[in-house]
Amino acid sequence: MEQILANGLYLGAQYALIALGLTLIFALMNVLNFAHGQMYVLGGFVTYTVYGQLGLPFFVALGCSALTLAVVGALIERFLFRPVLARSHREESSMLLAAGIAFFMDAVILLVFGEKQRGVPKIVGGVLNWDFRLIMPYDRILIGVLALLSIAAFILFMSYSRTGRALRAMAQDRVAAQLMGVDVDRYAMIGFALGAMLAGLVGGLLVTITGVNLGMGGPTSIKAFLMVMIGGAGVISGAIAGGFILGMMESVGLTLLSAYGDITYLVIFASLMVFLAIRPQGLMGKPWG
Amino acid sequence: MSPLLEVRSVTRRFGGLVAVDSVAFDVAEKEILSVIGPNGAGKSTLFKLIASFLKTSSGEVIFKGEKISDRSPHEVARRGVVRTFQETTIFRGMTVRDNVIVAHHLRSKASLAGYFFASGDARADEAAFARSADEICDFIGLGEIKDEMASNLPQGHLRALGIAIGLATDPAVLLLDEPFAGMNHDETMRTVELVRGVRDERGVTVLLVEHDMPAVMSISDRIVVLNFGQKIAEGTPAEIRADDKVIEAYLGAEDESIGL
Amino acid sequence: MGTGLRIAGVLLFLAIVFLGVPWAIQASGRWDFYYTLTSVALLAIASAGVWLTFYIGRINIGQGAYALTGGYVSAILVMQAGWNFWLTLPVAGIFCALVSVLIGLPILRLRGVYFAMVTLVLTEVARLTALALPITNGAKGITSIPLPGEVSILGLTLIPAIDTFGDVKLAFYLVAAALMVIVFAGMYRLVNSRIGHLCRSLQQNEELASSIGVNITYLRIVAYAISSFLGGIAGAMFVAISQSIYPSSFTVVDSVNFMLNCFLGGLAYVFGPILGTLVLYFGWDLLFETGRFQLLIYSSVLILIIVLLPNGLLSVFERKRATAR
Repeated sequence: MEQILANGLYLGAQYALIALGLTLIFALMNVLNFAHGQMYVLGGFVTYTVYGQLGLPFFVALGCSALTLAVVGALIERFLFRPVLARSHREESSMLLAAGIAFFMDAVILLVFGEKQRGVPKIVGGVLNWDFRLIMPYDRILIGVLALLSIAAFILFMSYSRTGRALRAMAQDRVAAQLMGVDVDRYAMIGFALGAMLAGLVGGLLVTITGVNLGMGGPTSIKAFLMVMIGGAGVISGAIAGGFILGMMESVGLTLLSAYGDITYLVIFASLMVFLAIRPQGLMGKPWG
Repeated sequence: MSPLLEVRSVTRRFGGLVAVDSVAFDVAEKEILSVIGPNGAGKSTLFKLIASFLKTSSGEVIFKGEKISDRSPHEVARRGVVRTFQETTIFRGMTVRDNVIVAHHLRSKASLAGYFFASGDARADEAAFARSADEICDFIGLGEIKDEMASNLPQGHLRALGIAIGLATDPAVLLLDEPFAGMNHDETMRTVELVRGVRDERGVTVLLVEHDMPAVMSISDRIVVLNFGQKIAEGTPAEIRADDKVIEAYLGAEDESIGL
Repeated sequence: MGTGLRIAGVLLFLAIVFLGVPWAIQASGRWDFYYTLTSVALLAIASAGVWLTFYIGRINIGQGAYALTGGYVSAILVMQAGWNFWLTLPVAGIFCALVSVLIGLPILRLRGVYFAMVTLVLTEVARLTALALPITNGAKGITSIPLPGEVSILGLTLIPAIDTFGDVKLAFYLVAAALMVIVFAGMYRLVNSRIGHLCRSLQQNEELASSIGVNITYLRIVAYAISSFLGGIAGAMFVAISQSIYPSSFTVVDSVNFMLNCFLGGLAYVFGPILGTLVLYFGWDLLFETGRFQLLIYSSVLILIIVLLPNGLLSVFERKRATAR
């Protein structure tokens, strides 16, 4: 039982961090970022290159992942989403753009890093063994703690910094924020960069455990969508809750229900559909976002 | 003669808050009746309850002897009680004329399949709707700009278009939600004339919710005053003007809005 | 546009589809294009359904579920009940339409991303259901499905067997193209009738639509059922061609692609899905020769198109039309 909980917590922390970035972008611009998974994968490859190939310290690599994705996110918002959203009749058109960007990032990753699975040396060795009730490698614990710290830092940033408050005002009511003097264009860019940065950060964290490969992008995006929907689209607490719930569900599902094979997933997805049909705003969202 | 529309002690709660508290009044045929009250008095909520855009907590709304509260909005509209919107809610991506044409839905004789296969009924409908839409546009004063995209219209015209959409449904009772909000004196006077015309020339009973006191005084046959969700007065404009409770309610509200 | 011009356009399109394409393939010897273009026609039909749900203001990422369902219905009826394929085609569509009414009743109340996400999950549910049910034969799928046979009444042949003419590829292409033409003719009529007008009212403001007496629940269900019907028959046709179906025949990726086809063509244009599907699917195939740069070129062109024409390819003509008025 402890093992399942610990696994769920560890998975949930990573998931929550991914979902946070996605929900932030959604709340600010009403864009469903199909490329979120690819951003995560790119973050993984940057850490793989800097830490695994160049041999620089892990934290430097992690910083590089975050920074790279922040820049990529800012550029994507400024030169792609902003002009398209300004001229499109229906804001759903941004979904096509997001999908195009996802394909493009896949293509770039394919050309630069290839399609092989890549891993990096362990950052710390050893395994925690608590009476065989809980067995967990130290590197997983470290990554889990780092993810939790990042979530805490993000919440503090959103609550207390000037930028964070402006972003929250904008997420609540774009027009009102504009009237209050928030430069919405500038903050849309900052928010997008921040969301992308979080994806890159998780990519950098997780590459040390699971490695990284090209094919992880799409499924990661879909998982992130689900987490955001469970918690409530565009709501920060919801994304965190959604992340931990999915992490727990997977952890429990994999251990307890593995005997039943695909039925497990069918049950999970079908109940998710029923849940969303009854409560579309998720656990914590406001109706209609 | 029994009244056309009866509001029978309608109540609506939101959580612990009672937005509309046992409000009751009648509306006679071809009357212009206004519901007024300070901000937050429950006017808009009452309005939505009558048009069934909200469910009542208790009480009922009767139209021509039939209960219309707690139904679907489109069923209430079908019976002849049609609302317009406070915000300038229109079909933005259509021309003015198409807005009015599509609003003729309740006069359709053909089925969906009939429209697909262009049955005789469908063709007759479409011709009739187009003719009627042109006539309504002229009546409302939008005839000149009926081929304009609705999203390009200025504020005042949008309000008129909202009323035109309401008229296209051939209503018995038209519910107007703050028809004069945000208008200057001239625009208000023009719209007052328009609303009178709707009643006098088309025989439509008008129930309106409004803020603008002078306009309400000049247009209404009778007035119902709400405060804190309760009806505090009902009568002709002259009676309302002399009612102490009404004056008190409005003064109190003004103090609040100044920030005392 | 004048009526004469419009008729000329339609005739030109039909001539290209039914005469030009077979001639070009004959001349170039690229017989594989038959399969590609057959797929384009069928995917365009499924996309037309997605387009219709867009038209009432819903983002539908669930068409893969109905294509899969339609495919399985046809395969099972052919293999287990021994039905003729041509009879299973409408049945597959109607079955999907009925299923979509049951599913649509609760979920069509949702809007925006909420509807989109539920339909995305629906695609996954359909795949997992196909994996789990005994009748669908799990991951092994249903294979060796016979080609469509002939349909005859009292010895009179109504539809000949698909391999009568020797060239099965050409026969399938012509059938798929004909089906596409019929579907889009129907869609054109729908959109330009009062039904289309009502759908637009729903897309632009559901509250106002219900206040003018439109039964929005009913109209949404009708549109969604038509959409799913189209998904079902497209899926069934695919099964007839590939003679097999697996749970992975239509997945989330396909659902997303159907949606992208609509976006690319333009959500405001009824023929958008044909163009969008052609560009996305055929374009991808054409770029095959660029090898490892295929995805890079493809996605760059895609992004460029979106940035230049955010309202779809067909919005190119928009400015012209505006000045013509």
